[in-house]
Amino acid sequence: MSLFLHYLSLPYLLEGIELTLQVTALGLGGGLILGLVLAWMQLSRFWLPAALARGYAVIFRGTPLILQMVFAYDALPHIGIKLPAVLAAGLALACNEAPFIAEMLRAGVLGVDRGQVSAGQALGMTPAVLMRRVIAPQAIRTMIPAFGNESVSALKNSSLASVIAVQELTLRGTQLASSTFDFFSIFFASGLLYLLLTGAVSAIQLGLEWLLDLDRTTRARRLTDYLPWRRVDLTAKLAFSEKAPLAAEAVAQPEIMPPARLLTRAERAKRAATIARNNVAVAVKDLHKNYGAQAVLGGLDLTVRIGEVVALLGPSGSGKSTLLRCINHLEDWDSGTVRVGGRRLGFRDDGKRLSPQAVANERASVGVGMVFQQFNLFSHLSAKENVAGPLRWVHGMTRLDADRRACELLDRVGLSHRAHALPRHLSGGQQQRVAIARALAPNPSVLLLDEPTSALDPELVTEVLEVIRRLAIDDGLTMIISTHQIRFADEVADRVAFLSAGSILEEGPAHEVLTHPRHPLTARFLSVMQADKALEAVR
Amino acid sequence: MRKWLSREARQASLPWRKALTGAIIAAGFLSPAIAQAAAPAGCAALQAKYPGWKGKTLVNAVNPHTPGYEAIDPKDPSKYVGFDIDLGEQIGECLGFTLTYKPVVFAALLTTLASGQADIVISDIYATKERAKAADFITYSKVFDGVLVAKGNPKKITGINTSMCGAAAAENTGFVEVPLVQDLMPKCKAEGKPEPTLQLYENNANCIQAILAGRADTYVNDVNTVDQAVKANPDKLEKAIAVTIPYSVGIAVPKDKPEFRDAVMAALIEIQKAGIHMDLLKKWELDVNNFKEPDILSAD
Repeated sequence: MSLFLHYLSLPYLLEGIELTLQVTALGLGGGLILGLVLAWMQLSRFWLPAALARGYAVIFRGTPLILQMVFAYDALPHIGIKLPAVLAAGLALACNEAPFIAEMLRAGVLGVDRGQVSAGQALGMTPAVLMRRVIAPQAIRTMIPAFGNESVSALKNSSLASVIAVQELTLRGTQLASSTFDFFSIFFASGLLYLLLTGAVSAIQLGLEWLLDLDRTTRARRLTDYLPWRRVDLTAKLAFSEKAPLAAEAVAQPEIMPPARLLTRAERAKRAATIARNNVAVAVKDLHKNYGAQAVLGGLDLTVRIGEVVALLGPSGSGKSTLLRCINHLEDWDSGTVRVGGRRLGFRDDGKRLSPQAVANERASVGVGMVFQQFNLFSHLSAKENVAGPLRWVHGMTRLDADRRACELLDRVGLSHRAHALPRHLSGGQQQRVAIARALAPNPSVLLLDEPTSALDPELVTEVLEVIRRLAIDDGLTMIISTHQIRFADEVADRVAFLSAGSILEEGPAHEVLTHPRHPLTARFLSVMQADKALEAVR
Repeated sequence: MRKWLSREARQASLPWRKALTGAIIAAGFLSPAIAQAAAPAGCAALQAKYPGWKGKTLVNAVNPHTPGYEAIDPKDPSKYVGFDIDLGEQIGECLGFTLTYKPVVFAALLTTLASGQADIVISDIYATKERAKAADFITYSKVFDGVLVAKGNPKKITGINTSMCGAAAAENTGFVEVPLVQDLMPKCKAEGKPEPTLQLYENNANCIQAILAGRADTYVNDVNTVDQAVKANPDKLEKAIAVTIPYSVGIAVPKDKPEFRDAVMAALIEIQKAGIHMDLLKKWELDVNNFKEPDILSAD
């Protein structure tokens, strides 16, 4: 025991820690930089960098670190690169860590909900802004445990530097054992030193998880919750705490707005006449799109005038969502044109395709807002930041102006009291109202709504429809809504278009089409939807 | 430190050893005197003849797992000590250069030299024709090997011969003893006995641990190393026998620097003439029969 304590406090071994840490730091730091480059290459739109990065991973992930160490130390000098031992070890460790870190980064990036990426694109974020503001903050949070793992592994792997004469902890331990024959005391001592180092890494990891825990700021999440013996289910506790404010709110706040008034028949006719004189907001001509062999859109034409509300009806898979996603160029198509406000979104005047960055800028300047079926709020940002953030990042507003605008819009959708809540602490209906506020914030010329109530529980549908109804009737906003809510379409839409198999079977004034469909498919679809309603009423 | 003292105490219990220990301690005190003694007279002429290394700091690659030849000083682990270390310092002093040390595994000694990461290797390495393909050698010591076995020699091993058939031999990767054991395999087969098995380790301490743990039956290495191991574990280990093997120990230098090789050889001759080589053998308790006048071994 006394020998063990003697070696544990021996300055010779303690000095080895310094070199161990140097090699580890070089390996992790270099690996992170190289890993970022590799991950970026793999996620690139172009095949060559992706292939090169893949090839690098095959080589450096597929060969033992000990060989890479010896290579960096003994082979590189033959081509004139004679690195000091610590640098050679750091280089080898960095090259070896890079593909692992790259895969972590790639998994983190790909793990971020695609819907949020679409939402960011629809808001006009360039790929760089999207990465920095939406993807990276969420990816980093999910990557911390993996990065903690990787750090511990790098720390232990640094012991292989002993083969190339780096006087780190392991090499010092073995040399000392050779000259004193106190094999086990020395190895237990250096083992404990390694444990202290890796323990420190674990502590840093837990600390970071706590620091970046989104619930730390909104709720009392204590650092001690992360201690291994505290059996706090980090997710269950959230679900529980979420209920409380919701219940309180339901009592305190008899839900918001009085229902919008319905238009009379005469008002409708007047409105139709006004709209007919307006300019064209969206013009879709002969749009074709295939997924593989299957045609999704087959020569679709649609014209929407300023101030007009068009409801897209039709069975699932009829192309409603694809059409909406083509209108703001979230998806490519095979032939045909889409013009918004007279401009071909995503193409130069001569028909050449624009870069993703240029498309993003154009989306922002033309102003096509989009509301998604799954809300797609940025889950790491509060309700207010979801609205204010894009205004700052895309439209260059000051924080003050953006916050003021966000508050104003949240107030309009009846959610000013939940401005600081995270999306996951909001009900579906509330989330969709925030999403609508976010889409409205930059004053879009057209708002696209893709089945905005389909993902909601029935009792939450009304609050969302109410918001949309107000936008149509009070604000005169141009909207294209895909929906299964027949009655809502009847009340809100000026025109209804019935899609089937990627083209419009029938379109016309909403009330007319819905009450007197001409096409047998439309009639059948409407009667099925009506029957569903009846069933639900019985239940 | 504690262990070091207790070992000395143990030695002191035997009267004749006591005297010897006293001599060693005295030699230990004298060692700085040897190291700092003015270089042999001929060295001034050598520095004039070979001025290229004067004032330089060269790197000596060592496998510091061989107490007596090269190992860290248990009293001050920041230093390397042993016969080879002293000899290297003497050569440096004679030619006017100083040495720093780079500890590597045994099998990496010559690669480290060849890649230019080291300038010289003085690390109890046996000069063989095979190895001379990678470096030039200046031989300076004869080789006596010891056969280390567990106390009582349960397998009755009598040398590197068919008594090793069926035994497990621990060896260092890259040691010349490895092919000697391998050569036994067909001989054992011819006698209808099981072949010996080889366990390759990275250093001396691991080979000795293999016997202590009962994983290996024998470890053949330089006789002094074997003696040191027995001294450290007198209840568990013993030397079965000492054998001579047909090699010499050599200083390895890069093949493309013949002038450096000649300078080192000339310095070694001066050191031997001044009696320093013999003093160092005594200081480190090595058999004076190891002494050998230098020769050069290089590839044909």
